[in-house]
Amino acid sequence: MNDADIDSDATDRMLLQRMAVGDRTALAVLYRSYYGRLSRFLARLTRRSDVIEEVVNDCFWIAWQKAGSFHGDSRVSTWIIGIAYRCGLKALRQHGDEPVEDDVLVLDRFHAHDPDEDRELRDWLAKGLNRLTADQRLVIELVYGLGHTLDDVAIIMQCPVGTVKARLFHARVKLRNTLPALAGEPVRQKESMP
Amino acid sequence: MKPPSDLGKDCARSWEVMPWALQNRVSPAEDEWLTSHLTQCESCRSEFEQQSRLRMALTLPPDIPLNPDAGLRRLLARIDAPDAQETSQRARATGWITRTLVAAVLVQALGIGVLGVKLWSQNAVPVYHTLSQANPAAPVGAIHVVPDESMRLSDWNSLLHTMHLQVVGGPNDVGAYTVVSVDTSLSPRDTLQKLRTTQGIRLAEPVAAAP
Repeated sequence: MNDADIDSDATDRMLLQRMAVGDRTALAVLYRSYYGRLSRFLARLTRRSDVIEEVVNDCFWIAWQKAGSFHGDSRVSTWIIGIAYRCGLKALRQHGDEPVEDDVLVLDRFHAHDPDEDRELRDWLAKGLNRLTADQRLVIELVYGLGHTLDDVAIIMQCPVGTVKARLFHARVKLRNTLPALAGEPVRQKESMP
Repeated sequence: MKPPSDLGKDCARSWEVMPWALQNRVSPAEDEWLTSHLTQCESCRSEFEQQSRLRMALTLPPDIPLNPDAGLRRLLARIDAPDAQETSQRARATGWITRTLVAAVLVQALGIGVLGVKLWSQNAVPVYHTLSQANPAAPVGAIHVVPDESMRLSDWNSLLHTMHLQVVGGPNDVGAYTVVSVDTSLSPRDTLQKLRTTQGIRLAEPVAAAP
């Protein structure tokens, strides 16, 4: 944990303490602070904005009620993302038989404001992540996107560190074999065997 | 956990370090070593470039239209109405308890009903007799007679024959027989007097009429 992480965690703890005594302003600050991270994380599970918002709100509903019982065994971010992970899996089970994509028109309208470079990068990433299982996608997001350590990811996903390492390893091997081809490069067959 | 098996030892180390080096979570010495290795190993350099691109792509904001302000408003509205949710949850819990209790009562009622039908079918005629009930087996002029224990059966039969008596009931718990006279010429009172004076008869009493 670097200095920025320590400062950020101290702020989050203070906000949680205020939430524990019913401070809604603290809740709003924490909500806005985590909304982007949680949305990006949950977007690896579903593309539906309504489900993502539902999960984010379920997560903060629990955080609001349990703020007083947070003992500080982990970072606040690890605790909150762990709640979001479990709420996300629950939502997936509930909405499992529904379309995972939002209305195409809505996405197209949104994409119209996306710079070409970013859009190209997103497409490249989306195609690569589509080859992964949901748990592999989430591990990649947690490590590369949100910058969590293996220990943090193990706490979030409630599994041994060895399982996290295995998921990360297999995800990286799959991406290693897939992403160059998506970028128009030849696949490095020599390195494709784990 | 091992990286692809055909990579060298340094490449394996490089594979392990890359994700954390990208986030500046390695020591300066480790970072320096990785930089040095990447200058010498084209394969790892290519992998690191791809990892960097992966991280950059993953840090882009989500491309799904979301509105945190609207989401927060809905969350606060949800918090403002906890009573409704708690009531609903409590109602669900109470409903479950009520259903269980109703089921238990129904099972009990069913059991009692089955038991009642069974007992009724076994004991259609009650074994008890109330004082207010009319004596169903006592004809007019009936007399309770208790013969002495020493009286022989032949003497008892002879007495019944001589006095034109017929046994219509008994002996009961105290050994009394209920007899009636078949001789219409004798009144019950006369029959009673004769019985009381007969040797071997301990008791002779008219059967009392119901009150």
